Amino acid sequence: MNISYNWLKDLINNELSPEKTAAALTRVGLAVEGIHAFGDDQVFDIDLTSNRPDCLSHLGVARELRVITGREFPAETQSRETEATDAVPFPAILAPDVVKIEDPDLCYRFTARIIRGVTIGPSPEWLVKRLEAVGERSINNVADITNYVMLELGQPMHAFDLDKLAENRIVVRRAKTGETITTLDEVDRKLDGSMLMICDAEKPVAVGGVMGGLDTSITDETTNVLLEVAYFDRSSIRQTSRDLGLTTEASYRFERGVDIEMLDQASNRAAEMIAELAGGELGEFIDVYPNRQTRPRVVCRDISAAVKRLTWLEVSIAESVRILEALGIRNEPQEDGSHVFTSPTWRHDIAIEEDLVEEVARHAGYENIADELPPAFGAGEYQEFEGRKKLLRQRLVDLGYDEAITYSFIDTKHDGIYETIPGLIDDRADEKFVTLRDSVIEGAVRMRPTLLPGLLDSVRYNLNWQRRDLKLFELGKVFAAHSDEIGLPTEREFFGLALTGGEVLNKHLEASRPLDFYDAKGAVELALEAVGFPAAEFRPAEVSHLRAGQTAGIYIDGGLIGYVGRLDEAISNGYKFRSPVFVAEIDLDDVLSRNRSNVTYRPLPKYPSIVRDVSFIVGREISFDMIREAVIDLEAELCRHVGFVDSFEGKGIEPGQRSITVRLEYRSDERTLLESEVAEVHERIVGSISSSLNITPRI
Amino acid sequence: MADERATVEAAREAFDRDFEKFNDLNLNGASLSDIEAMRREMGEIKVRHTGKKSALAESKKLIGKVAPEQRGEFGQFVQSVEKAIVERIDSAESALNQSLSKAKTEAERLDVTIPGRRPRTGHLHPITILRQKIEDIFVSMGYAIEDDREIETDHYNFDALNIPPGHPARESQDTFYTTDGFALRSQTSTVQIRAMERRGVPIRIIAPGKVFRRDTPDMTHVPMFHQIEGLCVDKGITMAHLKGTVTEWLKRMYGEDTVTRFRPSYFPFTEPSAEFDFSCFKCHGTGRVSGEQRAATSKEIDGGELLTAHGSQLTDRCRPCKGSGWIELGGSGMVHPNVLRACGVNPQEYSGFAFGFGLERMAALMFNIDDIRHMFENDVRFLEQFR
Ligand SMILES: [Zn+2]
Repeated sequence: MNISYNWLKDLINNELSPEKTAAALTRVGLAVEGIHAFGDDQVFDIDLTSNRPDCLSHLGVARELRVITGREFPAETQSRETEATDAVPFPAILAPDVVKIEDPDLCYRFTARIIRGVTIGPSPEWLVKRLEAVGERSINNVADITNYVMLELGQPMHAFDLDKLAENRIVVRRAKTGETITTLDEVDRKLDGSMLMICDAEKPVAVGGVMGGLDTSITDETTNVLLEVAYFDRSSIRQTSRDLGLTTEASYRFERGVDIEMLDQASNRAAEMIAELAGGELGEFIDVYPNRQTRPRVVCRDISAAVKRLTWLEVSIAESVRILEALGIRNEPQEDGSHVFTSPTWRHDIAIEEDLVEEVARHAGYENIADELPPAFGAGEYQEFEGRKKLLRQRLVDLGYDEAITYSFIDTKHDGIYETIPGLIDDRADEKFVTLRDSVIEGAVRMRPTLLPGLLDSVRYNLNWQRRDLKLFELGKVFAAHSDEIGLPTEREFFGLALTGGEVLNKHLEASRPLDFYDAKGAVELALEAVGFPAAEFRPAEVSHLRAGQTAGIYIDGGLIGYVGRLDEAISNGYKFRSPVFVAEIDLDDVLSRNRSNVTYRPLPKYPSIVRDVSFIVGREISFDMIREAVIDLEAELCRHVGFVDSFEGKGIEPGQRSITVRLEYRSDERTLLESEVAEVHERIVGSISSSLNITPRI
Repeated sequence: MADERATVEAAREAFDRDFEKFNDLNLNGASLSDIEAMRREMGEIKVRHTGKKSALAESKKLIGKVAPEQRGEFGQFVQSVEKAIVERIDSAESALNQSLSKAKTEAERLDVTIPGRRPRTGHLHPITILRQKIEDIFVSMGYAIEDDREIETDHYNFDALNIPPGHPARESQDTFYTTDGFALRSQTSTVQIRAMERRGVPIRIIAPGKVFRRDTPDMTHVPMFHQIEGLCVDKGITMAHLKGTVTEWLKRMYGEDTVTRFRPSYFPFTEPSAEFDFSCFKCHGTGRVSGEQRAATSKEIDGGELLTAHGSQLTDRCRPCKGSGWIELGGSGMVHPNVLRACGVNPQEYSGFAFGFGLERMAALMFNIDDIRHMFENDVRFLEQFR
């Protein structure tokens, strides 16, 4: 809102310099964002909060200055604020012949002033200058005057060409089905039954509180004017303005709230100016006021104590009352020492004692409030899982992973491509996913049920910038519809990662080796270990978005918590990934809510162990785990551990075969074992599993 | 004795001949292999001339054969010859060993400026870095960290926050809705309500989390971002506690000399309301940046190279605060009595303050990030700049 310093001086005897005025206004909450010179004037750009529509006028700002300077308004300003001129009262009984309000729920009050014999022409220079100072363009004398009075008193108004109104009268009503209007901006607008229209005897002539119609507007030929000054329901104006996609200075003010008791003064002010600057004679003034509002009254036992209780500030009752009265809040002192304060009609944000406290406090000055820490309270605490999530993040960072944050909404094109982790989707729900009504990113209306599309988009983005060796991870919520009565969607925190390219050493520009499945699995193991689960199991799995044979389900205590594997070829091609991409995703909420096993110390062995390696030539159907489990199943005495040494395929091995080497550890708790007895047991074990798995040991 | 003496002399001469090349040994410029060859040869000479089968060893046996009266003199003679030989060998060996070790050291000299062998470490997202830092400060001040749902009912996103149906903040086009009519929370204030319902009062919490607004992405807008919300409700809480708490936190973030400023404002869920600013961390509230600081800034911007072309365009005006000395950070105020009532708290008995701010904005200011969309592109070149 542009506010002219000179204009303010017309309304209040303000001796503060422009700079000091700006600082003082900013201090009380009317943030002056800038001051620029216009001729001999200085213009403030004030950023107003939405609760202060009263300051969308010079009078409103002058009221704040009245509190700041402690000066009363000069008589002329006071008259504009309070007194109506002595126009001939129009007989109430005849009013409906000129103005009829059919929908008083949307139009609380409507005034019409008839001015006859005006001459439309240019405005005098002072008026043009004043409008230009605050960034308004001059149109003609009558239009400029309506604008001027709005900027001065805050009351939007509209001038009709009286002779173009059918039957020279006004009907205020909701639009009828099929009605249209061409507004001043020469746009044809379709109306609906929720919109309040100013109509003549036949048709809409203005969108009430938003914009006048083109056909009935003032032209150079206009001689008789009907000046409308009215009050409309705030949310109705907001809705109409939104539905029409049309915001005007009038709608902006009406939807925030204007001063319903100011209508007659504003009308008189404009009518007098028209008579003075455009000639003409003041005619009838019709005031139809069917919907009077009660003003909020606040009973205040001790305003000073209330201010202190909430703000710490010590402001006497006398000073508090002075501030409130200077703001136009009516004060009725009661015999018991309390006060009843009544909100002025131009304020729509004063209804309770706390509102009064704010008025007092902002003028007493927030800068005078001390800095104090609240008295000591309990101990601080992180969220239940935060400590372990911090460890998880740090482990991955140490392992070379960069943390990504991707949007929670993804494109619907990913639907059905990614297999969600069991337990997320509620099979009883009609809809599986959570969908937004619309999005600001094309197509992204699906609340993600998986982190993977976001991570893969990030991989793509980096590849576009020639970063080929990538390790990314993300912690974030995923969503699914829920079938219970309240129906609030399921939200779970997941952990995902994506990697591609090669293993990169710090500050080495060339990767040392290509990444593979085992890098992804290793990262998952490390992540799970960091949050307290060092013994997750990985079992071969079939998952639609992962490549067959390079996919594992991840299990803790027998429960499936996620998947790791190589991204499916077709999906990969869709992203134009040239190198293999490996991904993993786990249900972190599930993992973190599981019981961790306690650490129990095992006494160190008293006798040394003897190890024996054995290699087998196996086909793809035989896994390390199968060999390991076969050994364990034998429950052979002395054999304490089966570990992985190496898996090798290629030179010297038949195609489709590989050599896998495992290490068996033998130990007794009673004595040092002899080579010979170990050899005997080892031979028996190797023979036994060779026949049970039908594999051949390599000699 | 003359014969015996001649034998010793012969041994010495033989040694002298063998050792001749090692007299006035100059190893400057000798290669490692040359030195190793010489060291080997020296070993052979040592064995040949001082070993058990050497002429010198034979000479020693002659001592017993000379006449007893000459034995002392001859013995001394043999010893002196032996000593001279051994000393010469030792000294040559020592010189060779020294050179050898020096040559070896030279040959194994490394380029210690080559990067060390370790995995490239990754990076936390700047939002995580900032969030953790702020959480640590508030936990140390006795606050509990809370978060809650991201998809909410209108009750939690609006009604309980004193934004009734018809309120402009509610009807604005900012809020994402699901097809089932749920809202993506448009501020973390929702957590205030859920936490008060769960924990009751008194309460002190900090709620960091994602929020969503229907803004089309551009340099300063993103449809998803992170907020941190603070709430303290107890008997006797005033705006002085709000100011004190925010000031203490910002001092710990940006240094002891940080000061804060509170300006009257408007939010539906607080009354009175205030926006808070803090003195700029870069110019310390002066609004101006000196030449040196400016040079440092341009260095940062260009990753090591001082700006030249643009250097002249840089003014003395401080960037993060746009020359005002103040950085506008967030909103705050005393919790509106309607909000307390919505959580079953009696506003006559309890009062409280709340404050909130955006992490992306804070990160953009601190790290001089010009385009907020980078936050969710996950460009590794962006991420790896933060530690
Ligand atoms: Zn600064």
